[in-house]
Amino acid sequence: MMKTALLQISALLLALPVSVALSSPVLAQKKAAEPAAGEPASQEQVQSDISTREIAIQSNFTGIEILIFGSVDFSDSRTPGEGTYDVIAVVRGPNEPIILRKKERVAGIWVNGPGKTYSTVPGFYAVLSTRPVRAIASDQTLKALGIGLSDLDFGRYTQGNPNEQAYRSAMIRLKKEKKLFQERDDAVKFIGRSLFRATVALPVNVPIGRYTVDVYLFRDGAVASKSQGSLEVNKAGLEKLVYRLAFQRPFIYGLLGVLIAVLAGLAGWYAFRRD
Amino acid sequence: MFQIYLPIAEISVNLLVMLGLGAAVGFLSGMFGVGGGFLLTPFLMLSGIPPAIAVATGANQIVGTSVSGTLAQWRRGNVDLRMGFVLIAGGVVGAFVGVFLLKILREAGQAGLMISLTYVCFLGVIGALMLWESLNAIRRQRAGKTVSARKASQHNWIHGLPFKMRFPRSRLYISAIPPLVIGGLVGLLASFLGVGGGFIMVPALIYLLRMPTNVVIGTSIFQIIFITAIVTLLHATLNYTLDIVLAFLLVIGGVIGGQFGVRAGQKLRGEQLRALLALMVLGVAIRILLDLLLKPSELFSIVPLSGA
Repeated sequence: MMKTALLQISALLLALPVSVALSSPVLAQKKAAEPAAGEPASQEQVQSDISTREIAIQSNFTGIEILIFGSVDFSDSRTPGEGTYDVIAVVRGPNEPIILRKKERVAGIWVNGPGKTYSTVPGFYAVLSTRPVRAIASDQTLKALGIGLSDLDFGRYTQGNPNEQAYRSAMIRLKKEKKLFQERDDAVKFIGRSLFRATVALPVNVPIGRYTVDVYLFRDGAVASKSQGSLEVNKAGLEKLVYRLAFQRPFIYGLLGVLIAVLAGLAGWYAFRRD
Repeated sequence: MFQIYLPIAEISVNLLVMLGLGAAVGFLSGMFGVGGGFLLTPFLMLSGIPPAIAVATGANQIVGTSVSGTLAQWRRGNVDLRMGFVLIAGGVVGAFVGVFLLKILREAGQAGLMISLTYVCFLGVIGALMLWESLNAIRRQRAGKTVSARKASQHNWIHGLPFKMRFPRSRLYISAIPPLVIGGLVGLLASFLGVGGGFIMVPALIYLLRMPTNVVIGTSIFQIIFITAIVTLLHATLNYTLDIVLAFLLVIGGVIGGQFGVRAGQKLRGEQLRALLALMVLGVAIRILLDLLLKPSELFSIVPLSGA
């Protein structure tokens, strides 16, 4: 799969001189006039793709590193290190409801307090960027685009109440510890004037489902272009079979578990008997 | 290397670690006639398996180790079938009541706390009593007196109860009510705590019914097969928390360890066996108690709404 990704990159590299030649300096200058967040500001176009569009979780799955790569068509950048453009890539997994509990001391022992339910917590969320996102664009712009952990909507009103804020940061901290939330401000690297790449590690506990990958091209604090992609994470092979049986035929699955255990017990005794 | 992904627990674990854990618990199980769930379940949770899955999968593993353990005990004539079935009859009723209780507590959000407190109380009291008794027995033996743990002539209130049954293998002629009640209580605790319940069954049969220690171990492990099988089925169908791949690894390790455990158990004296088991039971109780008393480093915890 890495091989195909590399092939695609080299194809993009070949296309590069053409796109540079086509870019018009007159048009490029227009983008200096304050563009609204989210709207393409100029002629630059960002193209991107993901190295692996389908991830199959099998018994040897220990997490996977995916490559997000792309290029800036009609790039204005004259030298590689110029820093005309910034790229922010947002990888987002399916939402899931989560109960967050805080332990409290009751009569000397630590007890789970009443839980708060958050209905739409992303199962996975990663922000990858060329620089710290706050250096790339204003808080307002980032908020409008929904970029960054501080602006994530967990499906629960959290403004104002300082207690709620503590819960919210606990959720982010716990998710970060599990590598299910990531913020990496040096993950996106430009190669040459218009080609960029970023890798993101999906940990072993990634939820299954459809993931979206939004790649934003920023110029002077505003979005110049946006590109979208997606990938599927699914269980495959034996893992899929077991998972389906467990949830669709739980009684048969339970019986199977007991049967396997009994047979293993019999086999173990037979192999070790001393007669 | 040797990492394997678990389809229900949704984490990747080391194959050898899980086989080893199964073997260690199986060894203890064969040696003491306990299921080992009270050790296995906390260890699984420590290795990152979600608690609900650890409980269900632990029960499934105990089915396997109990089968091979029972067969090994059977060859030595240590299983009192009649007593076993009376205990199971009570145990099945208890298991259903336990699952029902757990469901109510879960809805109130306090299942985890109640499980921990029950563990501490039972393990603490039983461990302390067993340690006291077995140390006394060892001391008396050292002093040169001949003692028998079994005082057959001693009568207590249990002998006054009706519905008397003969249990020839245990050399007992007692009412069927105490074994039924013991079976029921153990079944209740077993499903509630997600363990086989041997750590309660063994001392109850020794001290309350005065069965011979070797028959107690065989009979206890025999009835554990049935109780844990029911608990496994209930968890799989009601909570979807059984991980068959993990259970398989634990069972393979468990049945091998169990065979060595039975042999090791034969070489130790009854008093020493009981003292060792008591120390282990006390150790687990203290560990759980500390978790409740010490301030946790992370006060918050998250669980998916579905798999709570």
